[in-house]
Amino acid sequence: MSLLELKNVSKIYGELKALDSVNIHVDQGEWVAIMGPSGSGKSTMMNIIGCMDKPTSGEVLLDGVDISKESSKRLTDIRRDKIGLIFQQFHMVNYLTAVENVMVSQYYHSMPDEREALEALGRVGLRERARHLPSQLSGGEQQRVCVARALINHPELILADEPTGNLDEANENIVLDLFAQLHREGTTLIVVTHDPEVAEAAQRTIVLEHGRVAREVVNENFGKN
Amino acid sequence: MTKRRMFLRMITASLLRRRSRMLIALLSIGIGATILAGLVTIYVDVPRQMGAQFRSYGANMLILPQNGAVLNGDTLQQALSAIPAEELVGAAPYRYVRLDMTTRQQSFTAAGTDFSQIVKTSPYFSVEGRYPENTREVLVGKEIADTIGAKVGSTMELTYQPAAAAQNATPEESREPGALLSGSAEGWSGGVVYVSAQLDENARIASVTIDALTQTPEFGGRAADDEAFAAQFVGKALPLALGEDVDALSGATVTSSAVVAALNSAVKAAAPAQPRTVNFTVTGILTTGGEEEGYVFLSLADMAAMTGQDQMDVAELSVSAGAEQLEAYVNAIQEGNESVQARLVKRVTRSEASVLSKLQALVFLVTAVVLLLTMICVSTTMMAVVSERRREIGLRKALGASDGSIRAEFLGEGLFLGALGGVMGAVLGFVFAQVVSVNVFSSSITFQPLLLPIAVIVSMAVAALSCLLPIKRAVAIDPALVLKGE
Repeated sequence: MSLLELKNVSKIYGELKALDSVNIHVDQGEWVAIMGPSGSGKSTMMNIIGCMDKPTSGEVLLDGVDISKESSKRLTDIRRDKIGLIFQQFHMVNYLTAVENVMVSQYYHSMPDEREALEALGRVGLRERARHLPSQLSGGEQQRVCVARALINHPELILADEPTGNLDEANENIVLDLFAQLHREGTTLIVVTHDPEVAEAAQRTIVLEHGRVAREVVNENFGKN
Repeated sequence: MTKRRMFLRMITASLLRRRSRMLIALLSIGIGATILAGLVTIYVDVPRQMGAQFRSYGANMLILPQNGAVLNGDTLQQALSAIPAEELVGAAPYRYVRLDMTTRQQSFTAAGTDFSQIVKTSPYFSVEGRYPENTREVLVGKEIADTIGAKVGSTMELTYQPAAAAQNATPEESREPGALLSGSAEGWSGGVVYVSAQLDENARIASVTIDALTQTPEFGGRAADDEAFAAQFVGKALPLALGEDVDALSGATVTSSAVVAALNSAVKAAAPAQPRTVNFTVTGILTTGGEEEGYVFLSLADMAAMTGQDQMDVAELSVSAGAEQLEAYVNAIQEGNESVQARLVKRVTRSEASVLSKLQALVFLVTAVVLLLTMICVSTTMMAVVSERRREIGLRKALGASDGSIRAEFLGEGLFLGALGGVMGAVLGFVFAQVVSVNVFSSSITFQPLLLPIAVIVSMAVAALSCLLPIKRAVAIDPALVLKGE
């Protein structure tokens, strides 16, 4: 069953076609990587999937609902309820502690619950660092807090934008291991990256070029190493 | 944890952990609130402060007799009862009479007054020497002093020339119930003793006033002040016999018999035709820069003794109250009192009111400007805060924050700052007002408890208003910006 389906989605900025009749689908529980060089339309697609932008034309079905024509207020609700976001720049509220940052996500979603937030930090191995401010955490630790924040509300889809772009190899592996764990638990993952290693960790890679889907590669070795 | 607690935690964390920026905003609100609270305190207190200051420019209310009634100490006190004692700075009586200085063939306007009150109602009076304190002492206006060459310590002889007796009734005919009789007789060494007697409804003596200014002060002169001597006459019918109806004042038999003789020959409303001359000592020279320099001032008691009339033409009041309150007192005095008339000295009350309203307008204007500046400063700071926190705001929106929650968070921070600044301002403002008050008005002020809530509410309102534009900016931030590798 597909969780996400893009049908003939185009996004046009003036003369520029950022996305040009893109068709993709992502099944429930699938781990998909989206690759492509700069300017290939990765960010635009990410914004549309993340309910932060609307396509110029085409349909975007998320969980069977067409979100391409929803109001931005409605998109905020959908994003909050269904999607967990992870960013390249970590993006934490810099005056809140790690656990408070996780709780911010709960706060907007439903009800802040410190115990649950601490558990989520435990999952990413940061239970001991819960009371630290972002400035007191390393880049890898910050990104792990972001992973904890993304999964705290049990989203149907985790959308990660270059999640390892600013990390060293050790931290990259920790984050990818966390993704694998989430995948095993049945969470759908879409990871935008231009790092082939990160893409190889996924089940399937969709390659974008000039706003179009250039090819799709199924990872034969998935789950074998 | 509830949403509200998380909300408060986020706001306080934002304020506490991002100190420098918030400190500027807090400082500007605090300073604004300080000046606001200070000015409001002064604004409220100025009428009181200035009222006291204004009182040094002279009387602002007059009380005059009307409908042919006599204004004297008793009727004046009755009228003054309408004014609270703490607001009545002073009430100086004046009785104006022409007195002659026969030795120089000149005559002056003499004012009988109460010097202890003049000090209060006319603090600008400048006296070389001192104010008269005893009987037969005068204060001479500069102009007169220059004319007659009077100096402190010199003497001057003043004569009261009464109007001729208007009635020719005999003493017997005059003794009607309620009549006021006056008479005179020669006492010790040719000096004349004057008496007046008020008869009651049975034509018996109700009260007696004795003027023995011409008699030796230590002997016959005492007849004027000896209460026991005067009391003997009360309730008796005229004519009287010394030694039978009344006893003589010891050591003053001649004067005593003169008093009795004067009473026996007293006639109704008839002033003695003989002039009265009294020798006064000059105790001070008065400089005012006004018409008072052309007057001679003596005590009201001496004036009453010379003229045989215990009354005043006018009482000048200095009342520490605003124009409206003064108007209310005037009405209160008029009401149920036909015999006196109260009037405001418009020149004084009007200029007081106009200076006050100008001063209050100025304070109001400064307050408005300060509030505006505070608003601009807070708004600018919050604007900077918003652009500084663009990424954070974008992140919050990406995490699912609605426009409403972004608004609530920034407004919450603003209101929190406003409340904090307001409390700070109320306290510092009072100190500020106190310093201004002590330095400018030389008096301290009392803390207005209402100031605290006012300062807090106004500061919160100003902070909230200042946040409107920055919040608009914050809400407009695109959550997608967090995805771009900025």
